[in-house]
Amino acid sequence: MKIIGPDALLFGVDDLEACTQYLTDYGLTPVGDGRFEAMDGTAIVIAAKDDTSLPADMGNGCQLRKTLYGVADEATLNAIAEELGKDREVSRLVDGSIESVDDMGFTLGFQLTIRRDYEAPAEVVHSPGSNAPKRELNELGVDPSVKITPRSLSHLVYFVPDGDKAEAFYRDRLGFRVTDRLVGAGPFMQPGGTQDHHTLFMIQAPEFMRGLEHFTFHFGGPTEVMLAGSRMVEKGYQSFWGPGRHQMGSNWFWYFNSPFGARMEMDADMDLHDEQWVAREIPISAEISQAFLFQYREKWIPGPGGGK
Amino acid sequence: MSRNPQRLCAIDELPEGESKGFDLDGDGQDELFVVHREGVLYAYRNSCPHQPGAPMAWRRHAYLNKESSLIVCFAHGAQFDIESGLCIDGPCQGASLTAVPLSQDRDGNVYLTE
Repeated sequence: MKIIGPDALLFGVDDLEACTQYLTDYGLTPVGDGRFEAMDGTAIVIAAKDDTSLPADMGNGCQLRKTLYGVADEATLNAIAEELGKDREVSRLVDGSIESVDDMGFTLGFQLTIRRDYEAPAEVVHSPGSNAPKRELNELGVDPSVKITPRSLSHLVYFVPDGDKAEAFYRDRLGFRVTDRLVGAGPFMQPGGTQDHHTLFMIQAPEFMRGLEHFTFHFGGPTEVMLAGSRMVEKGYQSFWGPGRHQMGSNWFWYFNSPFGARMEMDADMDLHDEQWVAREIPISAEISQAFLFQYREKWIPGPGGGK
Repeated sequence: MSRNPQRLCAIDELPEGESKGFDLDGDGQDELFVVHREGVLYAYRNSCPHQPGAPMAWRRHAYLNKESSLIVCFAHGAQFDIESGLCIDGPCQGASLTAVPLSQDRDGNVYLTE
């Protein structure tokens, strides 16, 4: 099954105005109808929580209503419909996508991916001794005023009451693979149509926590994460964790509280894996949760003048 | 009240139905927040019982839901009763925020009682 990853997350929100402002400040592009897109067209879609066209509320304060996956081809779509149709209702929506539910009660959708080709610059690092491509001569490495747009919807994390059952569903029914495991938390999972370290991570938690833990887009590189995150802090948003760099997946991270009642992350430079990769199993700890961790500080200058 | 209570602000700076955070040590992180509801001030530590130490607002001073009827931790969606600080929905149901005692003087100044 060639599931690529989430194409869109659909929310029923408490405060539309706040979420609109937040997603715009995060860097996504509002394109109308509550849709906020990254460069490749992947998106967050928001509607008022009492909008009756939304899938059901999961409770527990969770505002996520649906995870809509993009798949590579019609064959995958049909295979999913057939597989899930064995033991649960699968509806075919007017837009051609299918809708069903996972074993933890999260509403899922699957569609031929809407991800579009796009071109955006790489963050190029001059590593002495390396033959890797360098920036053009006289091309600057940083532009503090550059517009930063998230590249692509990256991954999401669920709190699940039965981690084994949740993992088995995605592995056995939808063809996801476990790329790494934090013992005591849960598995990092990669669907069959991507090489990203994970598009889904699940954390074992009590029933009353069942819901969305965080979600994130890929940015162009660590400088974009640092710069976009600093701008969030300077606009008054609440940093939760970061900036730093994870060990599992190697992605740079910066997490912020959000009006979605779940943390929204910015990430960059995640590891890519194929089937040759052997999953690690490591007990969860602060140590393994990051290679390093920093905290925002107001701009400062050393020397006379008291740093002003 | 101790002899030198710490002044937080004037009551006028705490509009009815709103919340306000206080970063007393200036490290960029609010230590506590105050909610003004129906004429009463409620103050709590900015630390969600779900993950102690976790900051709760999603933006500076934004500790309430849209209707200003509940305190919300915008890290994982826990919802708290304003009057009691009790978590009524979300990841730490049954746990409570840590209340911070306040006092006011006749001139409308609000103080930490600790």
